[in-house]
Amino acid sequence: MAEDLNWAIGGEAGDGIDSTGKIFAQALSRAGRHVFTSKDFASRIRGGYTAYKIRTSVDEVRSVVDRLDILVALTQRTIDENLDELHEGSAIIYDGERSWEAEIPEEMTAVDVPLKSLAEEAGGAIMRNVVALGAACAITGFDVEYLDESLEKRFGGKGSKIVENNKEAARLGRDYVHENYDLDHLGYDLETTDEDYVLLNGNEAIGMGAIAAGCRYYAGYPITPATSIMEYLTGRIERYGGHVVQAEDELSAINMALGAARAGARSMTATSGAGIDLMTETFGLIAQSETPLVITDVMRSGPSTGMPTKQEQGDLNMALYGGHGEVPRFVVAPTTISECFWKTIEAFNLAEKYQTPVFLVSDLAMSVTERTFSPETFDMDAVEIDRGKLVDDDSVGEWLDDKGRFRAHAATEDGVSPRSIPGTTDGAHMSTGLEHDELGRRTEDTEVRVQQVDKRTRKVETAKEREAWEYREFGDPDADALIVSWGSNEGALVEALDYLEAEDVSVRVLSVPYIFPRPDLTEEFEQADDVIVVECNATGQFADVLEHDTLTRVKRINKYTGVRFKADELAEDIKAKLKEEVPA
Amino acid sequence: MSSEVRFTDFKSDKQPTWCPGCGDFGTMNGMMKALAETGNDPDNTFIVAGIGCSGKIGTYMHSYALHGVHGRALPVGTGVKMARPDIEVMVAGGDGDGYSIGAGHFVHAVRRNVDMTYVVMDNRIYGLTKGQASPTSRSDFETSTTPEGTKQPPVNPHALALAAGATFIAQSFSSDALRHQEIIQQAIEHDGFGFVNVYSPCVTFNDVDTYDYFRDTLVDLEDEGHDPSDYEAAKEIILDADKEYQGVIYQDENSVPYGEQHGLTEDMSDIPEGAPEDAMDLVREFY
Repeated sequence: MAEDLNWAIGGEAGDGIDSTGKIFAQALSRAGRHVFTSKDFASRIRGGYTAYKIRTSVDEVRSVVDRLDILVALTQRTIDENLDELHEGSAIIYDGERSWEAEIPEEMTAVDVPLKSLAEEAGGAIMRNVVALGAACAITGFDVEYLDESLEKRFGGKGSKIVENNKEAARLGRDYVHENYDLDHLGYDLETTDEDYVLLNGNEAIGMGAIAAGCRYYAGYPITPATSIMEYLTGRIERYGGHVVQAEDELSAINMALGAARAGARSMTATSGAGIDLMTETFGLIAQSETPLVITDVMRSGPSTGMPTKQEQGDLNMALYGGHGEVPRFVVAPTTISECFWKTIEAFNLAEKYQTPVFLVSDLAMSVTERTFSPETFDMDAVEIDRGKLVDDDSVGEWLDDKGRFRAHAATEDGVSPRSIPGTTDGAHMSTGLEHDELGRRTEDTEVRVQQVDKRTRKVETAKEREAWEYREFGDPDADALIVSWGSNEGALVEALDYLEAEDVSVRVLSVPYIFPRPDLTEEFEQADDVIVVECNATGQFADVLEHDTLTRVKRINKYTGVRFKADELAEDIKAKLKEEVPA
Repeated sequence: MSSEVRFTDFKSDKQPTWCPGCGDFGTMNGMMKALAETGNDPDNTFIVAGIGCSGKIGTYMHSYALHGVHGRALPVGTGVKMARPDIEVMVAGGDGDGYSIGAGHFVHAVRRNVDMTYVVMDNRIYGLTKGQASPTSRSDFETSTTPEGTKQPPVNPHALALAAGATFIAQSFSSDALRHQEIIQQAIEHDGFGFVNVYSPCVTFNDVDTYDYFRDTLVDLEDEGHDPSDYEAAKEIILDADKEYQGVIYQDENSVPYGEQHGLTEDMSDIPEGAPEDAMDLVREFY
């Protein structure tokens, strides 16, 4: 694997950290380098520590590591927060003219650049971060011209003057470092390639997948970290005849989405944390009325308000069991950013084929992390849309009873009933959260009750048989140790394999994107001496269901600090866990 | 079928389980007649209802319908209408459904001004749970949960609606069949959110707000020569707590419904068989 560079900019929220990081990430991507970004942010608008981190390599990068090579520090706290990751060879870019006196460990390279003065020289103090980007280019040997396109993309809307000033700011930063420092000993020479990459995060991939899948209606209520799905769709979904509505609360959002779905639109809502609790009221109605709906939960640290801007995979039990009574559902959890795209499309197909709620479960780390991909990763020609048993004016006749009434909940062999949407002649029918007969009319008849419960259960059984509930596999297929993971941990886990291999530790990794239904791992567990389930929660919710499935005790690696797994750290955790006894 | 629709086409073959004499019979009949009279047919109509006696209405009518969860009927209707501008949407609920658990949705539905009709079957009592106070119950009305009255003023739904920027506010009485039907018809024909509070007496649990009471006290705003476009006059009527009235209280003739404001004209149920033709543009944005 080629050497990678870990760069970060940190300061206070409101300092433009995010946009500066994004400009550099896009420039690296345009230079044909792979990029993986991560963000530290607090739940406040201004102030509080914020950082944007970039890991870049000519090889694919799938995770973050515990190392920082170049840090642009706008505050002392930025240095303090990252001391663990800084090392002897790290360079720290800071502005010595500013009011704070930087305390930088001796062994590191302090690069004092008058960011503000140079920015003013270029046309305004606001461009000091861009001066720092120029300085970073000088240190790494990265051609400052790659920044130009990113700057145009970012500031083009504000006029060519602004763009030119920013380009000048970057050059001033670069030149200052060249003139005042001899940094060849840092030894960076960022290789570029002819590859064309796109750079996007998990929430953008979900939004893009929704549009590709023909989603036309989105109702939501702003909540971190799900909101950016709504923001992505706003202004784009309209191009395809769709609409985004900001509801008054999550109860309204999910019911609006339900209404649009019953009207025949592919429809979605997304939320997180407390929002998913509020939506739980309607889960049963969606299942009972057999409405196709995609509900996305971008998980964050709970319970209650928990840590709204921090990572956790704590909602698996909610997705599996949320709602009173027994609610047939699907739970799909993408494991990578590209899967956020493809699993969203699959979620819409599953929802319509089986007329049931589909929970698309993502997490904060995936939602704010950007990664580079070849554009073909999102091959739109490969998108397939399956609307299931949607009847029209011609086919509705097969499903009418002897009195000409539409059998919306016909107890078919596969459990899937025909679906008619408003405007379909003779398809009018009533849907309800009450137990109902084939016509949708309320009943408490014991036989009909059993018939309808069995019917709804049967469609999940049908789906279990018909669909491929697969997992992805990495590492050594013959290894004695088996690691199982779900959600965004996959990247760190796959990179951890490199570290483990270097120490002759051989493991097999299964990354499972389907929580319910899910692949049967009994055989895989039986073949392994050791099974370790890796997840970002304290109790091991996925480990619990896998133990239940396979009747095998597993070891667990749980991280619930609010920070995602890092590849090198995870390798250490795995080594330690392999030495432990299997729990009784 | 639209040319020869009769109101009975909106009737299902399910026998209502409402108590004999319940005001909801008249409320529903008026809704069915108004729908037929305004040229709608069951296959192009969507009725949404919440929970309670009023929530049963979708079962007794014939059309596309959803009987949802308590208090959330308006968001469902909103979703249906936004996705399908071609479909007639009518939302029905009770005073508890609309002004208690659903009060938050009510004011937002009003200000969103989606082109649908909202009929509240107001009997000033919780009937299906056997006689508790509702948000429109009088402050001295004694019920199983308020033996000494609620000691709170009743909700004034029309005031809520007016404050939220309503473009159509009306009230009718289920027993005055012709006027009730006319008022619902006007609400359907209104471009925007047509809100009608219907006095729909509960003969089992409410012995105060009875048919006789409304017959004796009801003032018809039309007879009074009230001009619904007169906002100030509407405000005065609405804030007069001592008066029971029927008719169109307020109508904004310049109402621009949500769909028009947001350019929602397309049938959202119609999607291509694969990704949109220019979908790769969505990917290229991330270069």
